[in-house]
Amino acid sequence: MLKSLRFRLNGKLVEIEGREEQPVLDWLREEAGLTGTREGCREGDCGACLALLGRRNLEGTGIEWVSAATCLLALGELDGRALVTVEGLAGEGPTPVMKALHVENASQCGFCSPGVAVALSHFLLAEGPRDEAAAVASVEGNLCRCTGYASIGRAARALSSDFSGLPLDFPTRLAALAARGVIPPALAATMQDLPEPASAGGPGGSPPLGGSPPLGGSPPLGGGTDWYVRNTDPAPGLSPRFVGRDPELRFIETRGSGEGATVALGAGVTVADFFASKAVRAIAPGIERFEVLVASPHIRARATLAGNVANASPVADLTAMLLALDARLVLSGASGARELPLADFFLGYKKTALDGDAIIETILLPAAPRAFSFEKAARRERLDIAAVNTALSLAVDSGGAMRGVIVSAGGVGPVPLRLRKAAAALEGRKPSVAAFREAMLAARDEVAPISDVRGSAEFRKRVLGRLLAAHALRLFPGAFTAEELLA
Amino acid sequence: MKDRSAPSALAAVRFDPGDRPESLRNLTGATKYLDDLPEPANLLHAAVVPSPSGHGRRMRVDASKARELDPSVVVLLAASIPGENQMGTAVDDEPLLADGEWHYAGQPVALVLASSKRLARAAAALVRVTGEELPVVTDPREAFARGELILKPRVQSSGDLAGAFRAEAEGGKARWIVEGRAESDGQEHVYLETQGAIAEPVDGGLRVVSGTQAPSGVQKAVARVLGVPMRELEVEAMRLGGAFGGKEDQAAPWAALAALGAYVTGRPVKLVLSRRDDMRMTGKRHPYSTDFRLALDAEGNFLGLELDFYQNAGAACDLSPAIIARSLYHAAGAYRIPAVRAAGYMCRTNLPPFTAFRGFGAPQAIWAMEAAVSKAAEATGIPALELQRRNLLREGDLTHYGMKMEDCRAGRPFELLLSRNPAARLEAEIEDFNASHADRKRGSWVIPLAFGVSFTKLMMNQGGALVHVFSDGSVSVSTGAVEMGQGVGRKVLVVAARTLGIPEDLVRIERTRTATVANTMPTAASTGSDINGAAALAACEEIRKRLLAFAATFLGAPDNELSLGNGLVLRGGRDSGLAWKDLVAKAHEARVDLSAHGFYATPGLSYDMQAERGSPFAYHVYGAALVVAELDTLRGSSRIVRADLVHDGGVPIDALVDRGQIEGAFAQGLGWAILEDLVYGKDGKLLSDTLSTYKLPDMRFMDFPIDIELLDDAANPKAVLGSKAVGEPPFQYGIAGYFAVLEALKAARPGKAGFFDLPLTQEKALDFLDGGN
Ligand SMILES: Cc1cc2nc3c(=O)[nH]c(=O)nc-3n(C[C@H](O)[C@H](O)[C@H](O)COP(=O)(O)OP(=O)(O)OC[C@H]3O[C@@H](n4cnc5c(N)ncnc54)[C@H](O)[C@@H]3O)c2cc1C
Ligand code: FES
Ligand code: FES
Repeated sequence: MLKSLRFRLNGKLVEIEGREEQPVLDWLREEAGLTGTREGCREGDCGACLALLGRRNLEGTGIEWVSAATCLLALGELDGRALVTVEGLAGEGPTPVMKALHVENASQCGFCSPGVAVALSHFLLAEGPRDEAAAVASVEGNLCRCTGYASIGRAARALSSDFSGLPLDFPTRLAALAARGVIPPALAATMQDLPEPASAGGPGGSPPLGGSPPLGGSPPLGGGTDWYVRNTDPAPGLSPRFVGRDPELRFIETRGSGEGATVALGAGVTVADFFASKAVRAIAPGIERFEVLVASPHIRARATLAGNVANASPVADLTAMLLALDARLVLSGASGARELPLADFFLGYKKTALDGDAIIETILLPAAPRAFSFEKAARRERLDIAAVNTALSLAVDSGGAMRGVIVSAGGVGPVPLRLRKAAAALEGRKPSVAAFREAMLAARDEVAPISDVRGSAEFRKRVLGRLLAAHALRLFPGAFTAEELLA
Repeated sequence: MKDRSAPSALAAVRFDPGDRPESLRNLTGATKYLDDLPEPANLLHAAVVPSPSGHGRRMRVDASKARELDPSVVVLLAASIPGENQMGTAVDDEPLLADGEWHYAGQPVALVLASSKRLARAAAALVRVTGEELPVVTDPREAFARGELILKPRVQSSGDLAGAFRAEAEGGKARWIVEGRAESDGQEHVYLETQGAIAEPVDGGLRVVSGTQAPSGVQKAVARVLGVPMRELEVEAMRLGGAFGGKEDQAAPWAALAALGAYVTGRPVKLVLSRRDDMRMTGKRHPYSTDFRLALDAEGNFLGLELDFYQNAGAACDLSPAIIARSLYHAAGAYRIPAVRAAGYMCRTNLPPFTAFRGFGAPQAIWAMEAAVSKAAEATGIPALELQRRNLLREGDLTHYGMKMEDCRAGRPFELLLSRNPAARLEAEIEDFNASHADRKRGSWVIPLAFGVSFTKLMMNQGGALVHVFSDGSVSVSTGAVEMGQGVGRKVLVVAARTLGIPEDLVRIERTRTATVANTMPTAASTGSDINGAAALAACEEIRKRLLAFAATFLGAPDNELSLGNGLVLRGGRDSGLAWKDLVAKAHEARVDLSAHGFYATPGLSYDMQAERGSPFAYHVYGAALVVAELDTLRGSSRIVRADLVHDGGVPIDALVDRGQIEGAFAQGLGWAILEDLVYGKDGKLLSDTLSTYKLPDMRFMDFPIDIELLDDAANPKAVLGSKAVGEPPFQYGIAGYFAVLEALKAARPGKAGFFDLPLTQEKALDFLDGGN
């Protein structure tokens, strides 16, 4: 519905009364006249609509810039934030990023090109490694049907070496990028802080204009990366609850100590936050390596863990991981708060224990470290939804036996599953071919997949067994061979 | 393995940063595509209502809910069409809007017009289409069995087939006869810019901006639908956000619908398809099911080949006859086979009419032929490389359709590729890897290429250009070529600048408009720069001739001493003191015509459809590709780890553009071979109808070292400035990806026979790994 919104667009303050539910992509193209941001899919898969979004960082200590798919971004999300489009980046002519792409002839039809330029600009702007692999990975969310990517890859590699010495801390890095023209200096000068939101109550908290209650309902939105895929043209009148942008809800903290310690993740925690978190990495060492298997950089920067769970997709990757990490949920609404195990949250296909106006407010993970593995079978290695996914976690006791084994699997039933029989086959035993083979057989028995566009039921069963074998090989390297497990 | 940083022929080529302003416009977001144009205030937005299922009749359309949503919504049906309700070009079997019956899911039934895109789409979703369901056929062989053929079968044959297949035991030479079936699925174009058009009433006629490869085709189609003369319609194509054949014939319906809306309402109308509608409503690469049979003698020489192509044409003719023709021509791939029978059946099914897609029927044929080679290698124990080398086309060979191979270069790239990757080293590379990795296996495949260039439909090999030299010396070039990222504009520009001897920045390439250059052919069949470049060349040569004649009088020099170069009139190769700009100004004063129209019709083409004999191609493009794949035997997934391509590009007009075409086509070919999975349900509905379910190559998929070497000393006398067409041929290199993965699978299951069911997905790989022998 119509709301007063205040944000910065390409460095300039914008104050409008805008449809908060409107995708930013449409607003940019139809109302702001900025057509360099383009629609290729309207579901987050192509990257033609990327823009840079400036927001408060997780710690609340400053600002961070992410690349975001504007087709999945509600205009209301911009309140108190800043957006930079390709026009802003190119405000003073082609930037070094654009020139690097240009000299490689990495723009053919050109439809994808602004998105690619935004993604690579973000690569330079963002924290994190700046090696060739990271440069190339930064465009994993950009589809290009013309170039075959070789030229884009060459440009990305060239940028990674041309900018290898960029300073680490954000203000100095921003200044360095401005000095080299990656971001026009006048624009860069506006990128260190955010404007006040139009609504005193904070984002999403502003009273509707005219005071009437929202007609179209108020769905909670995390990043909107699931919601907008299903609602590509939301009706005017809708007034989403922007859970994902409530600073109070974006936190990761350790609660309690000793045996009962938990790590609490607020509803606003994004997938990227999750994998970057030291506390999470302490629970499941090495979990960060699985980050690239989930969506793409620009989806991960906005998608929330809570949204992944609440969406109740049977193939949700984070949900599979959280199940294996023995997560519990805190649901809270007008009628109070309650806590339940994640495994009990799913009641049936896309049916959950959420009722009324309740939201998932917090996700709790036991803090004790465990060995962890995740596997996913999908058509394409990156940016694809799983046909089947599975996670496994366990601890090994002093006698070498597996304890507290949890196996999860998605895509093999109507909801994300905990495979209790498979886990039981492993519990208390030493890792052995026999134990894992029993677990694989048990898993086959306790799932009932269906056939759909992502794979047949038989394929899903078969691949699940192999993914469980892959867990075994990863967690106990050298202990057995794939051949033995599959024999 | 080759070091990624090692320089290869093309790796070091770069654009000059100041060059190619359109590429910088793309990258800064300044380029305008159809949907980026400013919208007139009274614009109506359109959305299309699709048929509800794969096949039905007694259609009823209820639009009351749509009108309830907003009374200003306009709903147009077949009955609203003032002219002919017909889009078919070869056969009249494709109504613009379904009338009474429908033949595939996603067939346009109604056009909805509203004041906003959101409203138009919402209203379209409320239009109810019902009727009586009829049986749905999606399988081409089933359609064939029911006699559902579009046009009669086409058969090409040569040599003594019976003799070729006579076994040694029967006194013949055939030591081995291998046979089998090769299935290949369709492929979605995924041009990043979806289909669209804008139609606007102007001066009693209509101006249509269409996202099309064929502005004249759109003009003709719209004229027919509206029942108005072509002169009342001006069609313009802006830069397209990709096309790949998908906007050759199939851009016309959307333009016709927008024009219909504008005609009926008198207001401008814009129709831009959502990605999902685009995927559901438009045709793709044809799925084929092909039977193959190949006879070999004791040495591995190919004696005879039989191929039966069951082409899944979809529900209407569209371009299927031209596409099956290209399949037939490429039945033997890059091989010499004395006796061939190739038959093509265009089978009518209840799927969207399949259409042009880069390669245009050749990939399906080359794939089936290569399946036969793979099977022959299995049966004979002779390595595939050896079979290929032994049977490559040679100079003077006669193809099975009677074309003599002249300037045949099938062997050169193949040998060059093998000298870069000697067979023994390649084998050792793979074997060492496989011996030292338990859970991973590698496989490799080399594919040779001979791809015929020209439209398979003879009359289409023509094109025009209009060149104006303005009085300040700057130049405007219009042709029928549509720029869609393939660099045709760039190539035409180079041709014009070189011919007039002027710097490139004096030349501008205009958008493609039917009132400027008329009766043009689609920019397709890789011929865009061959034909339009040659037409521009003719026009520029005409102007050059006039200017030099003028210069001769002006300078008092014999005109055979004069030429144009470096922006000057040259006399005996040296500065005559007369600069281009002054020449033009003075010629203009002297009333010399500074404009010229150029025309080009590809010479030397002939084909006798009755005899199925002739020379349908101006020349062939040759090449060879090596692809190495790695299989994860535990998970059944695979990825490409390196590729090496040697390509015959003639003398490229712009090597960088050609490199981009080769890399892009190769990626699409690999996508088709091992990744992209077009899934239709038995009910004829497309299941993979979004980019979240239809996966095409991404950065990661293509992130492996690719070496590309262009054949040198390769000038092509048959095309403009010695160049060769480049758009489609390299697509076929991707086919090697299928066989590389298959070889890796066979390394994991030694002794097990291969299978030919493209694309080679993880699911099929696991079936192979888990299945019995
Ligand atoms: C291109 C693309 C690729 C993707 N790839 C993957 C992938 O690889 N793996 C994967 O698992 N997922 C993937 N997804 C799906 C999606 O990104 C994730 O599920 C994501 O975590 C959802 O979070 P969100 O915050 O964006 O959810 P939203 O879209 O904001 O919300 C999803 C649903 O949950 C509800 N909801 C949101 N927050 C709460 C809350 N706190 N309490 C109660 N209800 C809430 C919403 O109302 C909505 O119904 C992909 C999506 C896209 C567009
Ligand atoms: S339009 Fe494709 S990601 Fe937004
Ligand atoms: S250049 Fe055409 S999609 Fe990338």
